[in-house]
Amino acid sequence: MSAAIIFLLLALLMLTGMPVSISLGLTVLTFLFAFTEVPLESVALKLFTGIEKFEIMAIPFFILAGNFLTHGGVARRMINFATSMVGHFRGGLGMSSVFACALFAAVSGSSPATVVAIGSIMLPAMMKAGYPKPFGIGVVASSGGMGILIPPSIVMVMYAVSTNSSIGALFMAGVIPGLLLAFMLGMTTWWQAHKGGYPRERPHSWSERWQAFRKSVWGLLLIIVVIGGIYSGLFTPTEAAAMSAVYAFVIAVFVYKDLKVSDVPKVLLNSANMSAMLLYIITNAVLFSFILTNEQIPQSIAQWILDSGMGMIGFLVAVNILLLIMGSFMEPSSIILITAPILFPIAMKLGIDPIHFGIMITVNMEIGMITPPVGLNLYVASGIGKMGLTDCSKAVWPWLLTMLVFLMLITYVPVITTWLPRTLGMM
Amino acid sequence: MKILDHLEEWLITFLMGAATLIIFVSVLHRYASGYAIPGLQDWLISLNVSWAQELCIIMFVWMAKFGAAYGVRTGIHVGVDVLINRLEDRTRGKFIVFGLLAGALFTGIVGSLGAHFVWENGAHYSIFKFLGIDTGDLYEGPTTPDLEWPTWIVYSAIPLGSFLMCFRFLQVTVGFIRSGELPHHDHGHVDGIEEEKVPVDTNPYGMDDNLHPHDIKHHRIVERERTGDGK
Repeated sequence: MSAAIIFLLLALLMLTGMPVSISLGLTVLTFLFAFTEVPLESVALKLFTGIEKFEIMAIPFFILAGNFLTHGGVARRMINFATSMVGHFRGGLGMSSVFACALFAAVSGSSPATVVAIGSIMLPAMMKAGYPKPFGIGVVASSGGMGILIPPSIVMVMYAVSTNSSIGALFMAGVIPGLLLAFMLGMTTWWQAHKGGYPRERPHSWSERWQAFRKSVWGLLLIIVVIGGIYSGLFTPTEAAAMSAVYAFVIAVFVYKDLKVSDVPKVLLNSANMSAMLLYIITNAVLFSFILTNEQIPQSIAQWILDSGMGMIGFLVAVNILLLIMGSFMEPSSIILITAPILFPIAMKLGIDPIHFGIMITVNMEIGMITPPVGLNLYVASGIGKMGLTDCSKAVWPWLLTMLVFLMLITYVPVITTWLPRTLGMM
Repeated sequence: MKILDHLEEWLITFLMGAATLIIFVSVLHRYASGYAIPGLQDWLISLNVSWAQELCIIMFVWMAKFGAAYGVRTGIHVGVDVLINRLEDRTRGKFIVFGLLAGALFTGIVGSLGAHFVWENGAHYSIFKFLGIDTGDLYEGPTTPDLEWPTWIVYSAIPLGSFLMCFRFLQVTVGFIRSGELPHHDHGHVDGIEEEKVPVDTNPYGMDDNLHPHDIKHHRIVERERTGDGK
């Protein structure tokens, strides 16, 4: 009963268009005030202690690092390297975009940021080379999704924080699915290019490739700082995030010199603005999960699912459908923070691996980013490419289909995700 | 008012930068003090940086509270606006005002609760002591574990940040009722494919998406961009 009241209230408040954070907070206040005896003062304290976890602080650091990288010329050099490697295939610039997105995803934790970084260079280049616009937009918007699957990933940090899972293990678990997805998107791109007879770039010699690699090596080294640092135990994930922010600052300002020192405060302010928005959702989501637990809602839903005899396979299908629908209307961080506290205990009772479950949710979020009416990647791509949203949504469908196949694969073949972290002894 | 705006921006910019540096230095310290460089090592070991983590958390919580207030002014907070963006201008306007006032209500309540909490947990004691008034049996309040700062100072981010946010919500409401405009940070800032260099303050959350409500002027802006004049 109380579950119905809480969710109805939340849904109503959210549909009025007020910020997600405010709807979460007001739901909690209304419910506590009207239906329980919990002292309201405890709410204020929770607002501070809710985000008093060092793991959460990885989010602002990764955002800051991402912003330095986006404007620091790292993306451009990665693109040059990618083009030198795969540009000679049919639809070369499209293939390079997929490859460059995968590389950039390995240093950035956000999907829309990846679309901005790669898309703002690749889309104009593809237009100039005579590719049709929908092809370019489809490639960039969908490949940018890898930003949250290939570590580091802000969405994974959100999942780890709200379910107490290991960030390191999640990051490692994302590596193989990330590479697989890059391959699958690459194949789709090649197939589309082959059908359309799109141009290819001239082949590059190995010495040119080496040159391009050497120029982009400063950005690529960041992958080692983050993944290597966390895996070897040199840094905690939050420390790795802070290190990558400082490193990204140094290469953007002093090595590549693409960012002026006078621009740094702007980047800081912009990152703070974005992080504060996400942290504010987290704070209120913590409150929300506090009343869910207080009312024992996850337990009763779990019991209900177990009694209904849905089983693991049925549950995973249901979760996928639920998340895909929510993904078309909301932004990933809010979805994870609202659903994870409810879905996670059920998944545990059904014997689903927490890391596998996390990656599956992440892939769902990726798809949510390219499905209308609300898909962050679509908006960003439509902004850069100056093409209407409806046309953009039509443009992505071949890649969307590929990602749905990929989602099925990830959902029902858990070994793809769990093999690497297990082999490395992280879970 | 301008001063408040700048103060807010400086504060969160500073907190963001400083927290990053603190963690960076504390990690460097951890590894640098492992090398046996005579003199330097002893000096490094004598420095205690165990408080870095706590300070970083405090700074980020402060940044989150004041940044959220700044976010109201820049209009960055995401919502589910697909539905209301399909409504008539007038009806949508009512929903927008309702949403903004709900924000003001929530932050106002939280600010008051926070202020009460801070007052009871040390602020009352400290202020009375400072003023030389008999503190009687007032509670002195706890301190943080590593830095040993009084928690009431640390926690005062809740009332201060929330009241500022409440004020920003009201400010935006008044602005919206007067002019029909919502704060749009960079409408269409990633602008056009001719421009290869992305502006430094591009924000993926700042696009013309359905995560933010369209204001009354929205259609005109879209129209203007479509026809290509102005900007």
